[in-house]
Amino acid sequence: MLKVIGGFVAGVVVVGVLAYSLMSSLMFREVPSPFGVEETVARIQQNIQNVGNGWALSGLRNPGKAVEAAGGNTLPVMMIEACSTKYSAPILQDDDVRFLSILMPCKVSVYKKNDGKTYIGLMNAGLMGKMFGPKVGEIMGHVAEDQAKFIQFDASKPAPEMIKGTPGATGGGSGASAAGGC
Amino acid sequence: MLPIYRTVLSALAVFAMLTASAFAAQAKPEAAPAAPSASKKVSTADHHKFKELQKNFRTGPEVTAACLICHTEAAKQVQHTKHWTWESTDPKTGQKRGKKNIINNYCTNPTSNEKDCMACHAGYGWKDSSFDFKVEKNVDCLVCHDTTGTYRKLPGDAGHPVYKRTEFPKGSGKIVEAVDLRKVAQSIGKPGRTNCGACHFFGGGANGAKHGDLSSSLQHPSRYLDVHMDEKGLNFSCATCHSTSSHQVSGSRYNISAAVKGAPHIRGKADDSPAACQSCHGNKPHPQRMARLNQHTDKIACQTCHIPEFARDDIGTERSWDWSTATTMGPDGKPMVRKDSAGRRAFDSKKGTWVWESYVIPEYRWFNGQSRFQVIGDKIDPTKVVKINEVGGGPNDPESRIWPTNVHRGKQPYDKVNLTLTLQHTGGEDDTALWHNYDWQKAIKAGMKAGGLPYSGEYGFVETEQTWPITHMVAPKDDALRCEQCHSKNGRLKDIQGVYLPSRDGNKVLDTLGWTLALLTLIGVLVHGGIRILTAKKEG
Repeated sequence: MLKVIGGFVAGVVVVGVLAYSLMSSLMFREVPSPFGVEETVARIQQNIQNVGNGWALSGLRNPGKAVEAAGGNTLPVMMIEACSTKYSAPILQDDDVRFLSILMPCKVSVYKKNDGKTYIGLMNAGLMGKMFGPKVGEIMGHVAEDQAKFIQFDASKPAPEMIKGTPGATGGGSGASAAGGC
Repeated sequence: MLPIYRTVLSALAVFAMLTASAFAAQAKPEAAPAAPSASKKVSTADHHKFKELQKNFRTGPEVTAACLICHTEAAKQVQHTKHWTWESTDPKTGQKRGKKNIINNYCTNPTSNEKDCMACHAGYGWKDSSFDFKVEKNVDCLVCHDTTGTYRKLPGDAGHPVYKRTEFPKGSGKIVEAVDLRKVAQSIGKPGRTNCGACHFFGGGANGAKHGDLSSSLQHPSRYLDVHMDEKGLNFSCATCHSTSSHQVSGSRYNISAAVKGAPHIRGKADDSPAACQSCHGNKPHPQRMARLNQHTDKIACQTCHIPEFARDDIGTERSWDWSTATTMGPDGKPMVRKDSAGRRAFDSKKGTWVWESYVIPEYRWFNGQSRFQVIGDKIDPTKVVKINEVGGGPNDPESRIWPTNVHRGKQPYDKVNLTLTLQHTGGEDDTALWHNYDWQKAIKAGMKAGGLPYSGEYGFVETEQTWPITHMVAPKDDALRCEQCHSKNGRLKDIQGVYLPSRDGNKVLDTLGWTLALLTLIGVLVHGGIRILTAKKEG
């Protein structure tokens, strides 16, 4: 009996350690980009606009600029924000999961690292959605499928122009909330 | 809070601040006195009041003639500088360099294109090889001394300013107003960032294209970009470091002081290297508690740690220029222009293809300040990348340091038989100009003829590379490279040879021996301790 309990506890510990060490790589993905930062951003923006399913750009932010304004340096980081009302509406209309609005809009991060290469950071929407029941799981599964299309590039096509700022926004604050369909 | 407590607390706070700053001052390494503020007006003359400058000048040379009435030696001095001659001689090898002689990795060479290129010459009228370098009134005083920011020189005018309202570029709808020469002449002053930047920020035909560490972002820089030029901080102008004597500007791309030694001296002193970091900071610039860093200065240039990236702005810099795609037309058979995702030039049927990048991680090399340049007529090996400049130095050279560099790559035309890089006639409206008729053969033939070089009639394209040591855009000290950014297997200096770098380099046998010894020691301690505990228990 002692052996069984011991084995069970050991199993739980091993699984716990594995889950802890793999958590970050399961929840988030990092993919190298064959292009520079600006071109990667522009191509992802173009893909978002072409993928359908109600996806629209909500904004492009550069958190590095705030660091620079404070006198510090950071390698470039660009946050592409996108939203689909098709997927956001059912979540926003449900009191039980409305708190998941903190994950909106959907973000794709493009950044340079010290090796000089450009990387794309994404949230694993599919896995994360499964944690919140079947309804959210299904919606986030679709989001994950579209996310994968955001980062499929056709290098034979010329680089599109990067769309700066928040498309459709006429001002700051709540006025920007009408942008990007979310 | 009671007023008395508030007063006492305020007094204590002030005392604490004063004490702290006194300690901070003690901890600081020896430093040269601060330079006078560039923005402070110190002139004793009001040029508006000079009768000689109250004329309606029609040309630039007329203004210069007026300047020379008082500044009798100025033109002679300028005529001995690289800004005038576009020529430089290597003091060690005797090699003739300078814009006139080298073939660079951008617009290549001004020969036969003088009317365009001389928009950045400190003179008037250099339109071909007949230009007389001795005529004093052809020296352009205003390009460096204008303080109005309205003095413009455009390609195509052989260095003359805009005399009449002009559309530039042609067909763009953008209008450049004629320069009010009288107003500019009366408003002269010491050169500021606008004067230097007019050429040095826009070299290579676009903002930030050429150097990598110079662009219009340095016009009004904030602290993150350049601690010295920070507009709200030290606010250095270019001339604060590049001090001049008899119009000779210190600090040169051609004769770089790669390894300046010794203590700091007074900034502005016109010795051989006032534009070096060491001039103000000395070669032991770090405080005592960071003395280890001072031991790096005999191998590492200051710039290596303190300029972690260059082109740290949205303007970016050009990484490559491929001339081989020039003359390629658009789908409609007409010349086309394309921009990259950030709105920078990416392709032009006239000039080829460019690749740009912002926040560039430098490539690091040993450098002793010596560069051998590819000059007109030098033989090349087209099977290898042609080095536009060979950066000298190595780990065993005491004059060498590890420097951050901007390596610009390209493809240029060359003569397949004579094995020389070619000169090509690009600008102009004549039938041989590449940007007019899109015919490489005619353009090269005309360029080589103007340069007095033989041309076989067969051309190809060869890969080229130009290396720029990086020295501007110094980051705040908190943003200097961290130890592990170099001291690691795949760190910034992973390709640097000839120096032992802890954490990057190691001897497997030595490492194994060391770890074995450490392990044996640990085992020995544990066994010894265990025995002591056991025997103590038994005795107890």
